[in-house]
Order: sequence, then C-alpha cells, then structure tokens
Amino acid sequence: MEMMVKKFQSKFNKVREEMNQWDELQSRLISQFRNASHIVDRLQVLQKSSNYGILNCVGAVSDVLLQKQIDSLNTISFSMRKTLEEFHCIVLSLEKMHRDGRQLVKGSSSRPTMKQLQQRVGVKPTLIDCLDGLSFLHEIYYSEYLLKTSIVSALSSMALIPSNASDLGALQQLLVDQPNILTEEVQSLFDTIFAEDL
Amino acid sequence: METLNSEPTSPLRIIDSKLQISSPLPSSMLRLWRQAAQRNLRNQWSQLAPLKDKWSSISSSARSYATALVNSHLFQRYMPNMKLGVLSDMPDIRKRACFKLFKQQELQRSQLLQSYKDMVGVVSKMVNVSRSMKCYSRGSNNSPLLQFSNYPKDQSNSGDGGGIPVFAFLSISSHEQLVEELVQMFRFELCLKRLLVLQFISIGYDASQVNKLHWSAQLYADEFKDLSDCNLFCEVTCVPVPPRLRDGKSDMGALRFDNQPNPEVLQVYLTSWLAEVNINTLRVNEIFAVVGEEMHVSIG
Repeated sequence: MEMMVKKFQSKFNKVREEMNQWDELQSRLISQFRNASHIVDRLQVLQKSSNYGILNCVGAVSDVLLQKQIDSLNTISFSMRKTLEEFHCIVLSLEKMHRDGRQLVKGSSSRPTMKQLQQRVGVKPTLIDCLDGLSFLHEIYYSEYLLKTSIVSALSSMALIPSNASDLGALQQLLVDQPNILTEEVQSLFDTIFAEDL
Repeated sequence: METLNSEPTSPLRIIDSKLQISSPLPSSMLRLWRQAAQRNLRNQWSQLAPLKDKWSSISSSARSYATALVNSHLFQRYMPNMKLGVLSDMPDIRKRACFKLFKQQELQRSQLLQSYKDMVGVVSKMVNVSRSMKCYSRGSNNSPLLQFSNYPKDQSNSGDGGGIPVFAFLSISSHEQLVEELVQMFRFELCLKRLLVLQFISIGYDASQVNKLHWSAQLYADEFKDLSDCNLFCEVTCVPVPPRLRDGKSDMGALRFDNQPNPEVLQVYLTSWLAEVNINTLRVNEIFAVVGEEMHVSIG
C-alpha cells in the first residue's frame, strides 16, 4: 500500500511540472492576446479614411496599413492556436495520469477494498485522496482549456464585427484570471499529498 | 536621381542565363578577380544585416518617444477638464502640470528628432553598401601586383567580371538588384517616417509655428545633404523626395500639418510608424536567405 502511495506521489510531481509548463504558456498566451487585441482595437479606427490626417497625402497608405495589420493579426491568431494546442497537450497528459492512477489501483494484484482505499497511515494521503486529486486536477485544467479556446475564438470574431474596447478588456481579464483554476484548492490538495514533507 | 521604381525581382528570375558567357578578362586574371569579388561581396552583405537590426531598434525607440509625446500632449490638452479630486485644492496645480507636460514634450521632440537623424544615418550606410558591390581591378597589366577596389580607375573597367557568376549563380548585377530591392524598402520607409516626424513634432505647436512647417523644412542641420546621400533629395526641385508607397503616388500639395489632431488620427500615425508598411519582412528574410545560400554564409 505504501508503495502505491509513493507511485502516486511521483505522479503528482509530474503534474506539478505540467502545471509549471502551463504557467509559462499562460504568460505567452496573455502577451499574444494583448498584441492581438491592440490590433483588433485599432482596426475600427484604421477603416475610416478621415482618421488618416496627413497620411492621406500618401496614396494607398490606408489599404496597405489595414492589410498589414490584418496580416499581423492572422499571424498572432495562428500562434495563439499553437499555444492552445500546447495547453491541450497538458490536459491530455493530466488525463492520462488520472487514467494510469485508476489502473494502478485496479490492476494491482491485491485489489484494495474500499476500506483500504480510505485507510490513512500517519500523515500519508489515502489512495482515494490521490485518485480524486488527479481527477480534480484534470477536470479544472480541462475546463480552463475550454474557456481559453472560446476566449480566443471570441477575439477572432470581434475582428469582424464592431465591438467596444471594454469587451476586449473583459475577455482579457477572464484570460488572466483563469477562473476554473482554484489556486487555493490546488495548494491544499498538494499539501495533503505531500503532508510528510511539510 | 537614381530610380526608385525598379521592379522587384524574384530570385528565380535573377539566376543568370549567362552562365556560359565568356568573360573578356584572361582566365588567370579572372580567377584573382573572382576571389577579390567574393571577399568584397561577403563583406558588403554582412554589413547589411546589422544595419537592418539597428534600423529596427532605432525605429522602435523612436516609436516610444512618439507615443510619449502624444500622451504628454493629450494630457496637457485634457488637463483643464480633468477631475483632479482632492488635488484640485493645490494652488496652480493645473498650471504647473501643464508646464511640466510642455517641458516633457520639448524633450520628447528632440529625442524623436535624434532618432530620425540616426535612421537617416543607417539608410545612408545601406545606400553606400549598395554602391560598393562591384569589384574593379587596379594596377596595370604588366605589374605583377594586382589590386582590387570598389572604385573604377577608368571607364573601361566594368567591375563585374564580365557578368560571370561570382559564387554559384548570381552575377554582380544580380547581387546589385537584390541589394537595391532591399535598400529601397528602407528608403521608402524613411520618407514616410520623415512625414510622421514632421507631424509629431508639430503637435502642440502654436498656429504660427505650424504654418511655417512644411515638407521642404530642414529637420536638422545638414539633413538635406544626408538625404541626398540616400538619394532622397531632389536636386531639381530642392525638396526631399516625397513619401509614397512602392506602387503608389503622393500628393504633397494638400499637405497641412495639424497641431491638434484628434486621438484617433494620432493612433493611426503611431500605428503606421509601427507597421513599417514599406518593409516587407518576409521578402527581406528571403533575400538574406538567397544570398546567404549563394555565398555559403549565414547573413540574416
């Protein structure tokens, strides 16, 4: 039983690595999103020739400028989709760890009873703690991934229809906040799993 | 004036059809010329990548100065109607804030101008490189010592080795076309930036100062000399070449600077500074890649 807990703990260490990777991706996505929303914000202004002032002296500059901004927006959207794919990889890896965890319990020769699953030895976590924890982590990161996907597509659709800057700001705030990732609960989960190291 | 409208050439079209051409130079001489020409081309091309990077860094700091200038100006403009809350009890708070913003704008203007001057310097160096692609042999035929230089001794020397490929495929004139295409993007962009600099520094000027400002105004001492080094000064009309896009026109007749542009217009100006509409980054990288491959060195 103790062996099994050890195996679970090493899984949680891997989860922690994935979470760090997630944080790096998060800051990358935020900066990409910021750049993209700056452009979306400008597109409205760039579409009116009366906003070009002295640049109206330079023929065709508005068309080229608008085109160049749209090109940059497409490039950023493409990189955001790449980043989202990497988020997805993390979610898949968390899912796999949860599945493997279940397998670990089910597949063991001495199939533990419910009582054994809930049995607590000293400060060590129970097997149920471990299983539920992996499931919980996968669940919240999966929901957050879905949210990010829809935020990014909302931004793309805003490029096409007039919108106001506060909508963009709200989306960005949502992206930064990561409402599905409950930092405190995640922390207390890790405290339970690694209680002996505290 | 050197022409600003030569057609951009794709690398495929440049590959010389004259591979079989026989050069007028004797073969021993040709071998030496080729060595010297290769050395020269490597040197010249390897100067361009750092110049391009320098341009980008100056352009981006200039953009920060312009943004700061615009912000100070807008602050100053909105100061009379700003709600200052508890601060409004302080004596002369608005006046003092406005004065400070005014001083800041003076500094930001001079920073912007300095950046512009540096950008002119970069383009002028690029133009110099583009004129130094040829390699002329010096020294008489009976001298055992053969020297090469970027300047012809006499008219008979074409400096291109009779049009043979210098490395694998490209002749001197193909190299010149590529370099010209590259440098031209920066020249066009410099003109556009000049227009924007003029506009940015006129923000917040009083009406009489703005009326004096026009395209033919010199932005710093010796600017016109520098511009003519970049081939951007028209000796006939004695004004800088007007800004336009590669396939576009320009109409400077209607040009009137505005000392109080509205924020949307200012945003468009800043965006067009950032966007560098004349510089096609993909094509720039492509040119460096093509030439790098040709010379077996990485220069991008």
